[in-house]
Amino acid sequence: MPSSISHSDAHKAEIRGVREGALPAGLRQTAANRPGQAQPVPTRDIPLRPWVKMGLSVLMAVTLLTGAWEWNARANIGLRAGDIDDSPQAWAEQRRLADTAPVVIIGDSRILFDTDLARFQQLTGIRPIQTAIVGTNARALLESYANDPNFHGLLIVGLADLSYFRPAGVGVGGPYLKNVEKNGKPSQLSGLWLDRFLQRYLAFMDAEYRLSRMVPRIDHGWRKGVDSPYEDVWKISETFDNRQYFMWGRIETDAYLRGHARHAWNLFKGPPLPAFIARNVVARSAEAVRRIRARGGEVIFIRPPSAPELRAVEDKRLPRAKGWDLLVSGTHSQGIHADDLPQAQRLVIPEWSHLSHKCATVFTDAYVRRLVHLTPRLKLRADAPPPLSRADCVPQNIASL
Amino acid sequence: MIFNSLTFLVFFAIVMALHYAPFFSWHQKKINLMIASYLFYAAWNPPFVILLWVSTVVDWWAAQWMVRAKRERTRKLWMLTSVVVNLGMLGYFKYGGFLLNNFVAIAGSLGVIYHPPGWDIVLPVGISFYTFATLSYTLDVYLRRSKPAGHFLDYALFVTFFPHLVAGPIMRPTELVPQFEVPRRATANQIFFGLALLTLGLFQKVVLADGFLAPVVEAVYDAPGKMPGMLDAWVATLAFAGQIFCDFAGYSTSAIGVALCLGFAMPDNFRFPYGAVGFSDFWRRWHITLSSWLRDYLYIPLGGNRHGQARTYAALMGTMLLGGLWHGANWTFVVWGGLHGLYLSVERWLKARFKGVTPGRLAVLGLALLTFILVNVTWVFFRAKTFAGAGVVLTGMAGMQAKPVALIAFGPMIIAMTIVSAIFGTHLAMRNTTLEAVIERTPSVAIAGIWTMLLFAVIVEQGQGSAFIYFAF
Repeated sequence: MPSSISHSDAHKAEIRGVREGALPAGLRQTAANRPGQAQPVPTRDIPLRPWVKMGLSVLMAVTLLTGAWEWNARANIGLRAGDIDDSPQAWAEQRRLADTAPVVIIGDSRILFDTDLARFQQLTGIRPIQTAIVGTNARALLESYANDPNFHGLLIVGLADLSYFRPAGVGVGGPYLKNVEKNGKPSQLSGLWLDRFLQRYLAFMDAEYRLSRMVPRIDHGWRKGVDSPYEDVWKISETFDNRQYFMWGRIETDAYLRGHARHAWNLFKGPPLPAFIARNVVARSAEAVRRIRARGGEVIFIRPPSAPELRAVEDKRLPRAKGWDLLVSGTHSQGIHADDLPQAQRLVIPEWSHLSHKCATVFTDAYVRRLVHLTPRLKLRADAPPPLSRADCVPQNIASL
Repeated sequence: MIFNSLTFLVFFAIVMALHYAPFFSWHQKKINLMIASYLFYAAWNPPFVILLWVSTVVDWWAAQWMVRAKRERTRKLWMLTSVVVNLGMLGYFKYGGFLLNNFVAIAGSLGVIYHPPGWDIVLPVGISFYTFATLSYTLDVYLRRSKPAGHFLDYALFVTFFPHLVAGPIMRPTELVPQFEVPRRATANQIFFGLALLTLGLFQKVVLADGFLAPVVEAVYDAPGKMPGMLDAWVATLAFAGQIFCDFAGYSTSAIGVALCLGFAMPDNFRFPYGAVGFSDFWRRWHITLSSWLRDYLYIPLGGNRHGQARTYAALMGTMLLGGLWHGANWTFVVWGGLHGLYLSVERWLKARFKGVTPGRLAVLGLALLTFILVNVTWVFFRAKTFAGAGVVLTGMAGMQAKPVALIAFGPMIIAMTIVSAIFGTHLAMRNTTLEAVIERTPSVAIAGIWTMLLFAVIVEQGQGSAFIYFAF
């Protein structure tokens, strides 16, 4: 009986296991060559090359190339260290905090970009937990909180009407919701922390400027009938701690990137939404709101602004009376529509859908001051800073935007 | 923890430091490796470490009692204990929901309406791999192919050794346990070559599989309700052929490199499989450690080719059908295995029919291309989540879609096809050699240049830390 596990073979095993010099192909056999027997210690041959010298050269060359790439990211692309990518793991981290938080925000990218969490805290003493997700139906998030028996805080639901009233589908946030538990496992958490640590020092580590994102963008619509990667939404935001999103500065200053972002939205074109879909959405929302209130929670809806160019299309597909108004009345909820906030009029919306960084602070200031009148759960601090206005964020050369 | 994660890089640096620290004895280093391996596994889901312990302890004692048994029946009983415990755990976690769903469907077809509670069981990562690895231990002892390991620590480390733990190569105890018995210390050359292999594996996974090929595959396979035409269906399927190879071979290459850095030798798991001429050749090159496991512990015990033609074909089909099921609890995987079984059977029949015919070089090339195309047809069932989905893609590939729509942009299509062509061409060119032999013939400057570009591409691509496809198996 062959015994490859015996002590006597151990020495041979070491010799056989790894050897210097490449074996001729026919001599390096695999288990495929040895049917029906105990497999011996495999052979790994090391090609006769100066591996140490080559390895050190590679290390030097890669360090130089990476340094050059980092310089290019900062100098030419306009990326900066400290802009940390959002991720399903980062979202799951906030989601876990949300259970015991007094105020939580959900929604799509508009409330995500348009809320300045620090301003919110300056005004109320409470820093809300941000769990809105880009490209995601806020209704799905609302229902997930309704299904969470631990949540009983104030839920701020920010929405873009056409996203909230879409007939089906969660959108980008689907995997976020599905994998909350998995994304809290040790391997995911450690990855998140290390990634964040590196991104505080390295600008090039931006998901939107990965090799496989950039290269396919050479395709400027070469094939009819297919959206080319060039048409995708490129980087439009920066993300900081606790998922604080803001509009990326270059969208405000670079006409080409701004134009591309506007083009990517394609004005949210589409057919008008049938009334039965709106009624169905409102009914489901009402049920979710009812369940949250039954546990002692509260829900308030917010509709951030969009630029007139986009708003015209949005209103055509789903007028305010048939969407927003129906939702607020149908769920017996309080709501804050950007139209109704005097301080939120004619703010800067560079790519027509999300506010500029500074105007996000102004909008937050405006809606929080209204919010404190709608719910006893929030109070304006005695030492709250004075109100902001459009003048605090609209640049002189607004015409160019 | 996965190789293409920042966590692994830190983990690996610590493991290397401990492994080469001068103040630890070899015994202590093995304990360090085992603790590290448990941490590696627990990083996914700590409670599942218990499954590893159960598997380790049961098989250790089953083998011990097997050699002490005086009667053949007792030996068999201990072997069966090991098989039942291991396959029981695998069956419960991996196939429980599948069996329940099929039971409900069969009951429904007989008019019995049954609504069981949802089977909400999380699949432990790599359970199929370590179950097969530990089973080979008791089976080898039972079949008297080898003796039990001399020390529990060596055996426990064989089960948990992190480079092969979750996605193979599926190692046999006879391949690894002897390596633990004497101190292992890689030379500087071995460590740097190991790092080069790790770079190659990560490049395959992070840049090629995840970065450039997966989006092309998803554009067709994850587009419900959209009917691909011939071009899109073939491009997506070919891209998947590239993706699954780069994903899985990338993992194996990384695992081999990591083990080499620690001074251990792991077996080849892939030998340029798309350069195969015929399907028996393909299975000697694709996932070698699984195909040889199935051959040694399933095909041969089922009779192999020792009991006439009919029994041989039956053993072949049975092995491939179960091999398909090993990949996933879904009938699509069974069909995938069945197709390969069919291909192997037809090839066997043709070889017998045309015995003595030696194809020329052009014919060999044509047969390699035919093999590659037919393998691609099987990948449809491997990738599609349902038969309906597979039907949509196959109809597209056959050019029979009534109203096909374009789904893949031209740029990504060109990039994906360039990568797949390069893979196919490389496999054809290298089918009779090894990577090591080619490297040895190539100037050092060229090797260093290629290594630099691969590593730089991995860094620039960054990766999203997505799991390897085979982790789900």
